[in-house]
Amino acid sequence: MTAVVLAAVIGALFALGTFLLLRRDLIRVVWGLAIISQAANVYLLAMGGITEGTAETVPVLEGHGHEVHVPVGVADPLVQALVLTAIVIGFGMTAFALVLSYRVYEEHDTLDVSELGDRE
Amino acid sequence: MTVLGSVAPLAAVPVGTESQLVIAPMLIVLVAAVASLLLGRWPRARIGVSLAGGAAYAVAVAAIDWYIVLAPDAPGIATYQVGDWVAPVGITLVVDGLSAFMLTMVAVLGIASLVFSTRVLPEIDRRSYYFPLFHFLALGVTGAFLTGDLFNLFVWFEVMLMASYIFVAYYGGPQHTRAAFWYVSLNLLASAVFLLGVGGIYAVTGTLNMADLSRRLADSAAFGIEPEAALGLYALLLSVFAIKAGLVPFQFWIPTAYRAAPPQISALLAGATKKVGIYAIIRLSFTVFAGAPIAVDLSIPGTGVGIAGDSPLIFVGAALFVMAAASILVGGIGAVGRDSIEGVLAYSSIGQVGFIAIPVAIAATTASAELRHLAIVAALVYALNHTLAKGLLFLTVGAVRSATGTSRLADLGGLAERSPMLAIPFFIASLSLVGIPPLSGFFGKFLVFDSAARAEAASVIVLLLVGSLLTIAYATRVWNRSFWGDRTPAVENATTDGVQLAVLAVLAAAIVLVGVGFEPVYEFADAAATAAVDADAYVDAVDPADASDLELPDDGAGNGTESGGGH
Repeated sequence: MTAVVLAAVIGALFALGTFLLLRRDLIRVVWGLAIISQAANVYLLAMGGITEGTAETVPVLEGHGHEVHVPVGVADPLVQALVLTAIVIGFGMTAFALVLSYRVYEEHDTLDVSELGDRE
Repeated sequence: MTVLGSVAPLAAVPVGTESQLVIAPMLIVLVAAVASLLLGRWPRARIGVSLAGGAAYAVAVAAIDWYIVLAPDAPGIATYQVGDWVAPVGITLVVDGLSAFMLTMVAVLGIASLVFSTRVLPEIDRRSYYFPLFHFLALGVTGAFLTGDLFNLFVWFEVMLMASYIFVAYYGGPQHTRAAFWYVSLNLLASAVFLLGVGGIYAVTGTLNMADLSRRLADSAAFGIEPEAALGLYALLLSVFAIKAGLVPFQFWIPTAYRAAPPQISALLAGATKKVGIYAIIRLSFTVFAGAPIAVDLSIPGTGVGIAGDSPLIFVGAALFVMAAASILVGGIGAVGRDSIEGVLAYSSIGQVGFIAIPVAIAATTASAELRHLAIVAALVYALNHTLAKGLLFLTVGAVRSATGTSRLADLGGLAERSPMLAIPFFIASLSLVGIPPLSGFFGKFLVFDSAARAEAASVIVLLLVGSLLTIAYATRVWNRSFWGDRTPAVENATTDGVQLAVLAVLAAAIVLVGVGFEPVYEFADAAATAAVDADAYVDAVDPADASDLELPDDGAGNGTESGGGH
């Protein structure tokens, strides 16, 4: 069930991101890119495999401050490490894209993609 | 993760295959980047540190070339496990012939561009972030060549791209910001696609270490992997690499970006970051995915035309053929009609990458191991020539611009007479691009034609001939319009800079030297091609541990966490 919901959410995010990416307004384009990269992050997280969480599989619940012992079916830590890296990179890139769109506005006095394309 | 690493025994590795030399170029360029960032208030010290970093980088790359690849008793491949984590748990850095060849190529051009940069920037620019960014760009390229981990490759791509975004927007004018925005948007999208491919490959194969991936895919039945799914995801990665390499249909960002960036950076974009795309295609196709047992049949039904085989390389080769053929035509035809030298060179880069991709495609589709080897050598030698020649051409554009203030063909003319020292390197590089003996370009073209002839692909030969004719056409046109003819006012008042001309002369000499003394270069490329296809040696050197070796010991779970600290 979780997998189906996640798949639907990721699909919807990609659709929304693509829709925004194809707009004429530069800020919407940046939004589209941000949403697409977040969708890729959610997808990356989902690639670790999804299992139903129980008391045995959730490390924090399991140990709860007393003697911690390693549970059998912990969540895959690798995808979480990957997604953290990807989030940081995506954050930096989005910030840069926003600053750049402001510079584009300063230079061209417009944020309309089709007007930008006409000038040489 | 700490638990896993501490328990796994560090296998005894033969002397020479594990070396700290592997990480040296990355550390050097990182130190240079940070130091030049800190020295922002002292432009002269900043330039000094940058040049010293470049020199140290060259020494490190030369040491890698000799001690790991070329010396008589060299191991041929060396690894460095970052933080002493065993593969596939930690990040692995690997140097083999292919990585070393690419590093050397980039180091030569990078240092030329660095020295050139110190002379083109006005005083105010030297206080900006130009030099730190230059080193970060080099760091990304170096990391991409050295890493043995798929996700780490993504990270280095991003490091490289982040620096190149800023360079494309560097001058900050209307066309620069617009070009940068397109470039950023495209590459952000490409990064998301890269993540999709990486995540999917991890889900399918359970690993991201390239050696482990290669081992698991080759024996996919034993590991319970569906190789078809992995190949489909690799196709996503292939499109990302094609964007970096600028192959058609992903070429549209190149002309605007190359025209917007400072010319000495365009030299690096064409000479180094493009080659990262080519390197990634060669590395992942031949070292990692080649062994996967997948029956591919790409025959067109009813015609008998097409290729079939039992390796994913067939698929890669077919895709590359189409992209490379289109690149040669689009790049060549586009270059003929441009109105500035950079415009011509940018389109020419698209075409020349096609020339590099054609032998890669031949290597991927052929059944003969000998031809595969030859074709990869051809691709590498051509890539080397493109890096040197195109790098030199872009640097010449930089010199022309700082001498005359323009690079538009309409405003130039008679440069050859006004400044022969500017014209001769440009002439040599153009001839090398066309492929005249004894320059390095001749051997590149010769090997590419040779592998096409041995593959008995007549249509490919025709295509290469058309591409070569187009090269001659646009190279001649640029030469005639800007270096011959009547002097324009801009040329009449030109003032050239001695250091710039010296850099151009050194690179031009390198092109001649590679051509005249081709034997050692060929041997290096030969070693690189051997390393590219030798997946077994790659896997042995990285020595990824089996999952069973990494399991916790059975003597009680508490033990695992206690031993987890301290390592």
